[in-house]
Amino acid sequence: MGYHLRKLAFYLVALWAAVTLNFVVPRLMPGNPVDILMAKLQQRGGTVDPGARRAYETLLGTGGRDSVLSEYFAYLGNLARGDLGISVSAFPAKVSDVIGDALPWTVVLVGLATLLSFLLGVGLGAVVGWKRGTWLDALVPATTVLSAVPYFWLALILVAVLSSGLGWFPLNGGYDVVLDPGWSAEFIGSALYHGTLPALTIVISSVGGWLLGMRNMMVSAMSEDYVLTARAKGLTDSRIMVRYAARNAVLPSVAGFAISLGFVVSGSIVTEQVFSYPGIGSKLLQAVQNNDYALMQGIFLVITIAVLGANLVVDLLYGLIDARTRDRSTVS
Amino acid sequence: MTWSGKLRAGLGLAGLIVGFGLLGPLLTGDPATIRDIGLTPPDGEHFLGTTLTGQDVLAQLAHATRGSLWIGVLVGVMATVLSGIFGIAGAYAGGVVDEAFSLFSNVMLVIPGLPLVIVVAGFVPADRRGTWTIALVLAITGWAAAARVLRAQTLSLRNRDYVAAARVSGERTWRVICVEILPNLLPVLASQFVFAVVLAILSEAGLSFLGLGAANSSTLGTMLYYAQNGFALQRQAWWWFVPPGLVIALFGGALALINFSIDEIVNPRLRDRARRERDVVALDAEIAPAEPDAVLTVRNLNVVYQAATPVHAVKDVSLTLRRGEILGLAGESGCGKTTLAYAINRLHRPPAEVTSGSVRFENVDVLALGPQELREFRWVKLSMVFQGAMNSLNPVTPIQAQLQDVLRTHRPDMSIVDRNARCAEVLRLVGVDPARLGAYPHELSGGMRQRVMIAMALLLDPQVMIMDEPTTALDVLVQREILNEIKRLRDELGFAVIFITHDLPLLLELSDRIAVMRDGEVVEHATAEEIYLRPQHPYTRQLLASFPSLTGEAGALTR
Repeated sequence: MGYHLRKLAFYLVALWAAVTLNFVVPRLMPGNPVDILMAKLQQRGGTVDPGARRAYETLLGTGGRDSVLSEYFAYLGNLARGDLGISVSAFPAKVSDVIGDALPWTVVLVGLATLLSFLLGVGLGAVVGWKRGTWLDALVPATTVLSAVPYFWLALILVAVLSSGLGWFPLNGGYDVVLDPGWSAEFIGSALYHGTLPALTIVISSVGGWLLGMRNMMVSAMSEDYVLTARAKGLTDSRIMVRYAARNAVLPSVAGFAISLGFVVSGSIVTEQVFSYPGIGSKLLQAVQNNDYALMQGIFLVITIAVLGANLVVDLLYGLIDARTRDRSTVS
Repeated sequence: MTWSGKLRAGLGLAGLIVGFGLLGPLLTGDPATIRDIGLTPPDGEHFLGTTLTGQDVLAQLAHATRGSLWIGVLVGVMATVLSGIFGIAGAYAGGVVDEAFSLFSNVMLVIPGLPLVIVVAGFVPADRRGTWTIALVLAITGWAAAARVLRAQTLSLRNRDYVAAARVSGERTWRVICVEILPNLLPVLASQFVFAVVLAILSEAGLSFLGLGAANSSTLGTMLYYAQNGFALQRQAWWWFVPPGLVIALFGGALALINFSIDEIVNPRLRDRARRERDVVALDAEIAPAEPDAVLTVRNLNVVYQAATPVHAVKDVSLTLRRGEILGLAGESGCGKTTLAYAINRLHRPPAEVTSGSVRFENVDVLALGPQELREFRWVKLSMVFQGAMNSLNPVTPIQAQLQDVLRTHRPDMSIVDRNARCAEVLRLVGVDPARLGAYPHELSGGMRQRVMIAMALLLDPQVMIMDEPTTALDVLVQREILNEIKRLRDELGFAVIFITHDLPLLLELSDRIAVMRDGEVVEHATAEEIYLRPQHPYTRQLLASFPSLTGEAGALTR
């Protein structure tokens, strides 16, 4: 099996596992979520027709009336149709619509912040490794301590100092509420301005991991024979650093992207909450606080699919930057 | 900071925080006592001030630290056990079990942890969310990365001789794992435990801050939750909000420092070291005049490794390389021949230093060249083919790019067409099909790679080529082909070669003159014929005798 096919197969298995986990978790938990949901729905003035109950039962379990297997297939069928149920907290909106509204905010914020943090960390790591023995070495423990700081704590401190104290940034939100969301320059500018501080939080907290990994690989790569050859060839230092040492040292960082992305996504959920950012993390917490199980599960699924997708893209890119993986036949 | 300094600082800080968590609650008062002195800044009575309801922040901090550490240790132990089961046991068992465990770990790794924890916490009613529940969920979502590392380590250990020996001798599986494998994994396990603890404390803090932590628990996260809901920051009550986060950050930082030093103990290359600006310490003011037909003259060269006990690797070596000749440099491993070759081109790295002597290339004093001049000298005048050319090629770019690099740097005016033509030409010279230009090093055989290295060395028509054991790793037939190729190219193109090897009979056949090195000194330097017929130094005779002679009799000095 080719490299790409193998990767694709793995992510399909992972996707199936996530979907199944999503099905199993509510059934393993104590209490009867369907009853809680129906009660909530009633409070909100929703009609408690048998169809609504049926839909929730497919998602959360019927308490033994139907066989688990038939529930499972009904659940898969709903997913395939993109039907994630009705949100209780945003009644009568569909879960898929709630997610659709929130998702772009998170994708842009977390995506850009992660990319920025990766580039910054890998770039700095390469330089720190290359210029080992200079004052730059101090960057390594400094950024590592920063990555041990809880995201939300750092976010709150940044808000206290930069927003409340100095008034440089808005306190919260994703855009200026007087503006209508749309593709106007004013709105995009406002969104960028509101997103700066959340993004800064994510970058500060995650850059240390990239930096340390890259620095260590850089030190190892610099003692490889091909770097010695490059020096003997009389190439300029910058060329040796970028084309020979860093080009090889970056491979493990890219391969380890999956692990780091999980951390960043987790951290950004909490960060969004601090900034009341209109993204998917805030929605998830809102769902949890309101026992909006359908929304909760929908969001978990979407986050997981997004992370899997990002990893798949990175894995395919990895095949491009390291020709050896494409030809190797046994890689898991 | 040195690694031991980092270790001390890390252990000290971590110890302080653990001590505070263990002993603090005994020394401070009841953290829940409500007083009518809400939000008092730190003073003599309350060292860290009070909360909104007048509770002592220091007392709360001590109890919260204890709570967070407890969760951290619980999760750390559970996650380490899980990663051990899936990583070590799977890799040891091998086959289908390993495949299944490895797939499971990888799937768990890519499913984001915290969202899952939040969903699970959302389904469990708040009054049934105990410390153990939270710890279990955190452990289940946090073991996978460690399992992957453990699996890789176990796989490599499993194939070591002593493990194989234990298995063959019929030892029980659990015994092999516990006695032969686990002790070797201890450093990895320790660092992963530490990492799991930090991660758990951070995750728990996040959960509690969101109001999803364990019921009735007191951790740094719940403290921050109450501080946030009491608008601590908005009320400028930094003493309530800053300390819990700081304890987490410092604890994480301390454990990171410990992990640093473990890394540096395991891998000495990562240690800090002073950057050295000069690779040449002293220059001989006067350079001995070169012989008329000499292209490279080395006089009284000394190279010292400036370690705790300095090692004098090259001692007063003098060599003369004449135009177009092949000079063989023979000696056993560790005699300083590679160090000498590197020092001639100033490729030696710290802690090696040229302490005295001179290297003269025609009229150029190589040791006195500035960085820019040195770059212009390298490969143009003197190129090299290294020991183990397998690793001398950059594995991630096609060989074309590596050949082009040389031309782009040293012949910036050359057109692309000319550059491509030159690359193809040198490949043809060494007998490699130019169609292979787009190939990656791993797609070539060992002999091909070595030929590509030689082609690369030919690119700029240098006058001197240093070849350091270029054929050692190749099988005899390929070795023979390449040696013939080198001889032919030398005859055609007229460059001079310093050929380094431990294989004296090979040199007798190949070289015009031979220098024999031992313990950093050149003990004998003569024509190949002289060396073969009338070896002067006892060591040369010993070297000659240690190979089967050409007539087939065993050597006289076989030990």
